[in-house]
Amino acid sequence: MRMKKFINRPEDIVPELLEGLALAHPNQVRLVGNNLVARAKPKSPGKVGVVTLGGSGHEPGLSGFVGEGMLDVSVAGEIFAAPGAPRCLEALRLADRGAGVLFVVLNHAGDVLSSNITMQMAQREGLNVKLVLTHEDIAGGPNPEDRRGLVGFLPVYKVAGAAAEQGLPLEKCVELAERMERNSRTLSVAVRTATHPATGQPIFELGDDEMEVGMGQHGEAGTGRMKLKSADETAGLMLQMLLDDLQVKPDEELLVIVNGAGATTLMELLILFRRVHHILAEKRIQLVRAKVGEFITTQEQAGFQLMIARMDQELIRLWDAPCDAPYFTVR
Amino acid sequence: MTGRVDRQELSRMLAGAAAQIQMRHCWLSELDSAAGDGDHGTAMLRSMDRLEKGFAAGPPGCLKTCFHQGGWDLLGADGGASSSLLGTFFLGMADGIAADVASLDCRDLSVAFESGLHAVRQQTKAQPGDKTMMDALVPAIASFTTVARTGKSIPAALEAASHAASTGAEATRTFTARYGRARLLGEKTRGHPDPGASSIALLFAGFYDGLREPKGESGHA
Repeated sequence: MRMKKFINRPEDIVPELLEGLALAHPNQVRLVGNNLVARAKPKSPGKVGVVTLGGSGHEPGLSGFVGEGMLDVSVAGEIFAAPGAPRCLEALRLADRGAGVLFVVLNHAGDVLSSNITMQMAQREGLNVKLVLTHEDIAGGPNPEDRRGLVGFLPVYKVAGAAAEQGLPLEKCVELAERMERNSRTLSVAVRTATHPATGQPIFELGDDEMEVGMGQHGEAGTGRMKLKSADETAGLMLQMLLDDLQVKPDEELLVIVNGAGATTLMELLILFRRVHHILAEKRIQLVRAKVGEFITTQEQAGFQLMIARMDQELIRLWDAPCDAPYFTVR
Repeated sequence: MTGRVDRQELSRMLAGAAAQIQMRHCWLSELDSAAGDGDHGTAMLRSMDRLEKGFAAGPPGCLKTCFHQGGWDLLGADGGASSSLLGTFFLGMADGIAADVASLDCRDLSVAFESGLHAVRQQTKAQPGDKTMMDALVPAIASFTTVARTGKSIPAALEAASHAASTGAEATRTFTARYGRARLLGEKTRGHPDPGASSIALLFAGFYDGLREPKGESGHA
């Protein structure tokens, strides 16, 4: 099967996409050093820096969230592969404005390895860096180490970025990011596979009448294959698993994110969200904030991630605080 | 027999390893498609390119610096977990080599290999049996060390290491992944050897080929 993608040479995909991002959003981001995506206007001295890393091919994640009130620097790796420690260390140095750096890492083997090596090097250099790991994918089972980081990075970037922008100290930024993370749960489902843009190979096989709950961020085959269900049935099934896992009680306040995997239309995402809203209303659980759209994708994979997070007044205030990133703006 | 290896011979070993990866990178990517995203082969190509260039940029009189530079550049290949662990391995080898040493005997090389393995173990909790690169790396280095202790030549130790790595990698075919990204698939990973372990087997086969190939048994007695 011939791949139908608008790319040039496979080895140029990442530099060309980053160039495009910077050219399209010159007021928000710029490329510095070794292809790091940084805020166009660096944060004022004395404020905590916020840095992340991750493979490419998931646009707008993760570099689309660099900007005032969110990330200071994002280190983009190759397609679906973590960047190495040398560039991560460069990013931490760049983001350090004298008040320390918060390093947000999504729980995937390669990202964790790179960030651990980076943290060792950073400590040797005397940089003040704290790492917050996101791992809210309930498909990994009860052990937090086995849970991957999916779209839950978004509220963590938002809350940590807002706290840092307000000049809160590193310890407080870490506490808020961890509180946001601890109260987040995500589950994903795929109905059609994606093509790896560099190899041209399908990432996994899925029958025409099947869907798979628990799909990885990189399109790795998941664990719960079943016959395709309707939007309402799928939303209901996934929401119930999330509510049970987070042990949500009536009257609690939730943030809900429906994240499209790349080829699932906004039409479908809105239909799914509507059902989530209905179920929460029936259960007398308060849906206080919501986002429906594409925040992290896997090429043309069809499917979505459903995320819920338990909010409190402090988290809601930070979620509502202004920010200005290419793919996330609050005014 | 090759009693000692200097930068030129170590470069040949690395070139031999790169040649093995070059020959088999499509197969490595296919193995990775079974449980990962199918890019292990291309990541390994990038990694080997960086390792060779970094190593060659080091001064001939200081192998410690050569390995350090090679390892650091390999980390920068941005090839996910495999390049982070391999880069760590070569940085660890540098830690196991004394400063300003221009050549290594079989014992020195075994100390460097052990130091590389130690560094990898600091970064991953994976053990042999978990269907990872450790299934090839641990037996390869154990075999190298065993042969080195008997006072045999570097090629003899590399031959034993290569054999152990390839046996270890092949055995992963029947294992269930318990580590890394593939662990989430459990039983589905059976039937294919682990791509990381397969890469390690190719590296050791290449080290052996690279060292003995050009003129057969070479000069330094």
